[in-house]
Amino acid sequence: MIRVKQLTFSYTNRPFICSMSFDVREGEIFGFLGPSGAGKSTLQKILTGLLTNYQGSVLVNGVEVKARDRGFYEEIGVDFEFPSLYEKLSARENLRFFASLYKKSRDPNELLASVGLLQDADKRVADFSKGMKSRLNFIKALIHDPKLLFLDEPTTGLDPSNARRVKDIILEQKAKGKTIVLTTHNMYDATELCDRVAFIVDGSLRAVDAPRSLIMAKGASIIRYTFLQDGKEQQREVAIDRTGEDELLQQLLKDNRLLSIHSSEPTLNDIFVEITGRRLA
Amino acid sequence: MKPLLASFGVFIRQITRDNMLWAVCFAPLLTALIFRFGVPYVDALLCAYFDRAVLLADYYLLFDLWLCLTPSYMACFASAMVLLAERDENMAAYMAVTPVGKTGYMLSRLILPASLAFFFAMLLTHYSSLTDWDLPVLAAVSLVMSLASTAAALLIFSFSRNKVEGMAMAKIASLLFLGLVAPFFLSSKVQYLAGFLPTFWAAKLAHEKSSLYLFPALVISLLWIGRLSTRFRRKLC
Repeated sequence: MIRVKQLTFSYTNRPFICSMSFDVREGEIFGFLGPSGAGKSTLQKILTGLLTNYQGSVLVNGVEVKARDRGFYEEIGVDFEFPSLYEKLSARENLRFFASLYKKSRDPNELLASVGLLQDADKRVADFSKGMKSRLNFIKALIHDPKLLFLDEPTTGLDPSNARRVKDIILEQKAKGKTIVLTTHNMYDATELCDRVAFIVDGSLRAVDAPRSLIMAKGASIIRYTFLQDGKEQQREVAIDRTGEDELLQQLLKDNRLLSIHSSEPTLNDIFVEITGRRLA
Repeated sequence: MKPLLASFGVFIRQITRDNMLWAVCFAPLLTALIFRFGVPYVDALLCAYFDRAVLLADYYLLFDLWLCLTPSYMACFASAMVLLAERDENMAAYMAVTPVGKTGYMLSRLILPASLAFFFAMLLTHYSSLTDWDLPVLAAVSLVMSLASTAAALLIFSFSRNKVEGMAMAKIASLLFLGLVAPFFLSSKVQYLAGFLPTFWAAKLAHEKSSLYLFPALVISLLWIGRLSTRFRRKLC
């Protein structure tokens, strides 16, 4: 669906994105993870045709982005990080307007209901809260039922229940065979939603793989347990693949003296720090 | 064509929902009424008071030029304000990733309003002018006024961060129209110092009734538009 080869881009004389190459397969959720200023949003601007003065090749849906025409956008939905909505129009009027730009469109009411905005459909967007604007902005990207979705921080500013709704819709879109490019610095969203993630730091890719593979390849899970010794609570930990060698743990299990036991896996953030030496947030 | 018309439709809708911009649309009609009936009346009063045969009549053409400019400038001022509001709402960049595209966005926000204003300026000047106009001269002058106003809209949008700054920039951009007065008040070659302003050539065209001035008028207007368009497109992202 997306093929990027030797992409280089610069805002000034110094390259901002250097010789980047990657593919996004049809029907997958592909995440770009990186700290602020890493180049994620610039990359999204290049993939969506907002920036075209790049070197290298960027094929999106079989079209070189530099040579795109208006038809290119019939199959692409974009959700920018910051809401782009007409504040003086109502939510329904906004969706109707955006639907009118495309050859095909979905029912605005169905979309509004999917994110819990149907009862506010006729309210002016200027009177919406930040979270309501984020949800409306998100469904705006789905109004023409595109094959490819670019989502930039879709759950930012949402409370947990609405973030869950949005994530469920993203997973529904994937189930329908849509390809989704997710830009985020939220490692939990990336781990939950993405089939593969790319770590971006200083305009270059440091790793591309499935979140689970990255986690398992870089660090073993650990078991932490607590027990009482001389009247005081003690804590020990052991790698999950070495539990058989931990005689104390065996003994505590046999004597039923464990107070608590938890497994602890490294997070994507830990892996990101290990690979790139930088923090996500 | 459908996305372009939809985009133009939402442009009109934004103007109708903004009291100031809605009022701006009626400014040319008000100007026409004042110039058509007010100026000759004031002129007659002044002539009687100062006991002169002619006072403002020598400048009736300047009033006509001003009238011809008003629809284009008001339309382009409204365009610039809508563009700035849309930029605040992140709409300008978003439109670029829809079938409207950057070019379609420019067409629906600048070229279409300026084109409509061109026809309106011709009609308004034809029916409300204080002097007699040949149709080709009127068409040429209206065209240059539309192009100069488009340059002013680009200037306002490109150098302002929001509507408040846009209002201030609109005052600076109106200096582009100072070229109108040069041929009327500067008889020597000094007047050509205003030659970098498209409106100077529009005034020369109307004043001398010579189509020779159309060429520099178009070249200067397009140079302004070309230079400012690059900045405009960069600002859209």
